[in-house]
Amino acid sequence: MIVNKRRRPLPLTVLSTTFVLLWVLMAAFPFIWTVWGSFKVEQDFFSRDSWWFAIEGSRTIAQTGSAFTGDGYYGAWVLRDFFSSVVNTVIVTLSVVVVSLTFGTLGGYALARSGYRYTFWLLMLALVFRAMPHITLVSGYLLPFFEMNIWGHLPTAIIVLVAINQPFTLWMLHSFFLSIPKDLDESAMVDGCSRFQAFRLVVIPVMWPGVITTGLFSFLLAYNDFAVTAMLLSQPNQTMVPKIASFLGTIQQEGNVMFAVAAVVSATAPLFVLVMFFQRQIVSGLTAGAVKG
Amino acid sequence: MAEIRLKNVSKRWHNFVGVDNFDLDIADREFLVLLGPSGCGKTTTMRMIAGLDDISEGEIWLGDRMVNNLEPKDRDISMVFQSYGLYPNMTVYENIRFPLRVRKVPKELHHEKVMQAARMVELVDFLERRPAALSGGQRQRVALGRAIVRQPAAFLMDEPLSNLDAKLRVSTRAQIKNLQHTLKVTTIYVTHDQIEAMTLADRVVVMNKGVIQQVGTPTDIYDNPANTFVASFIGSPAMNLVSGDIENGTFRGPGITIGGLQINVKGPVTLGFRAEDASLVFEGGELGAEIYSMELLGEATMASFRMGDQLVSIKSGKEYRAEIGDVVHAAIPASICHLFDARTGVRIARTPGN
Ligand SMILES: Nc1ncnc2c1ncn2[C@@H]1O[C@H](COP(=O)(O)OP(=O)(O)OP(=O)(O)O)[C@@H](O)[C@H]1O
Ligand SMILES: [Mg+2]
Repeated sequence: MIVNKRRRPLPLTVLSTTFVLLWVLMAAFPFIWTVWGSFKVEQDFFSRDSWWFAIEGSRTIAQTGSAFTGDGYYGAWVLRDFFSSVVNTVIVTLSVVVVSLTFGTLGGYALARSGYRYTFWLLMLALVFRAMPHITLVSGYLLPFFEMNIWGHLPTAIIVLVAINQPFTLWMLHSFFLSIPKDLDESAMVDGCSRFQAFRLVVIPVMWPGVITTGLFSFLLAYNDFAVTAMLLSQPNQTMVPKIASFLGTIQQEGNVMFAVAAVVSATAPLFVLVMFFQRQIVSGLTAGAVKG
Repeated sequence: MAEIRLKNVSKRWHNFVGVDNFDLDIADREFLVLLGPSGCGKTTTMRMIAGLDDISEGEIWLGDRMVNNLEPKDRDISMVFQSYGLYPNMTVYENIRFPLRVRKVPKELHHEKVMQAARMVELVDFLERRPAALSGGQRQRVALGRAIVRQPAAFLMDEPLSNLDAKLRVSTRAQIKNLQHTLKVTTIYVTHDQIEAMTLADRVVVMNKGVIQQVGTPTDIYDNPANTFVASFIGSPAMNLVSGDIENGTFRGPGITIGGLQINVKGPVTLGFRAEDASLVFEGGELGAEIYSMELLGEATMASFRMGDQLVSIKSGKEYRAEIGDVVHAAIPASICHLFDARTGVRIARTPGN
């Protein structure tokens, strides 16, 4: 890296640095703006007169006596019980990730090691289901769920989310397993492992980056989902995203929009922590497939 | 410790035949070498014995068990893969230890056994490294170490020395031979290096295109090749093969006439003899021709002649010198000659009295 930098001509360095900075700014601005605004009152942050109010916060000062206020957070977390939807989100995302990864690794491994033709058609079928808009699945499920009296519960939403997510995890893990040479399982089996032991002791340890990357994508799907959770969960079981939507959508009450803004910030923060924590595995997982072909 | 019996074993993929009707008994403690050109089905045979490939037809017996339907782990063999098959996430030490771990060998024995195996393959200095940080030859030795760390019913070794340098290859070869002798484990060893085959084997199986060509001791195979394929595959240089006609015990080919052969054979045949059995002479001899090329081998000199469309080589002492284009003669007595059927290539045995 250092050697490269020294060799690069100065104008190019300036240009590329400027470009990167500009890009980071553009990408990060909405988030920074939202974080900043979440500590203001609605009349500042959503002012029609001038966006300058949001920066100065003159109305916030007028209403609360200080340039920053935690009213939005107080409203969301305390008055409207945002916490229970956080718990619901944790349950839903964790379950979706665990279930899809379990079936995904086992199924992806089986498909990758099976010599039969039908694997191709199975994967194709999976792709078709993946391509369908989520809402088509949900509207089909809605009536049966009502009749079976399982509408509104967390497990129902989890099952549907897994069904939506599974084709993708299967595909992704399948291609990761393909990039792991067969000799590895074979030498493990000769060394004394059963097929499953070879999978567990030899293949999965090599597969970690792939499993983590796939897990992260599953996590994001479940975490960000609106279509399924909004339609299939009852009010007390709502996850964060439909809850935020409900802050916006209910009868206009002052402060509600700011509850939503505060909740959005609260919901985004964990993503940053997660990505930073798994950064290395994700990058190596994303590139591993590319390098090995 | 077990004998291995392959009863008419075949392997087919759709209509491609990988191994055809392989029928062989391998004695307990025998060192058997599978020898043949690339793609002849050596690895496939091994993989069927190991249980990694299904058998299309036939039976495989390990000791008194028919193992056709046994999982690889239940066959109690260890194998060195042609492509190593090392575990990239484990150190060399853990790689070698892996079979002990999964086969539930008591923990307190592990260290000693691993160290013993590592010493045997000269890897003691690399135990903490991962396979990615090793050279090809070192990886191959890890695979070898992992195979010998426990005492299985049989060793299967698929070209375990192909990536070692010449010096290490000789010493490892000797080690394998010695190891097999001490451990007294039935061993099947695949190679396409005939020196390895000759030096290691109790018996050699020469294969071509999935079919066994000949089974025999190294001397047997060298001295009495069963057909022209074996004759042209074994030995360096390979046996000279000249096509011609035989009548009344006299063979006539392009520029070559040999008398005193079997008189009960008649018609087109292929005649074979080894370069080192014939000798260059000043006068007479069975062959007289211009030298096509001269090669100095160090311990000998080799002269080649072009006879029709075939090249015939004859070895001579290391002081022998002649120029390309010189006409020389060679003595090829009938006693060193082998006759093969011109069409099928099968050896024509010398019957008593002929
Ligand atoms: N899965 C497969 N499907 C179809 N044909 C195969 C398969 N595996 C091997 N073959 C064919 O079977 C034949 C024997 O292969 P094998 O690997 O046993 O050769 P080999 O004797 O070990 O050669 P080498 O010395 O190059 O390792 C080859 O012609 C190969 O193309
Ligand atoms: Mg092979």
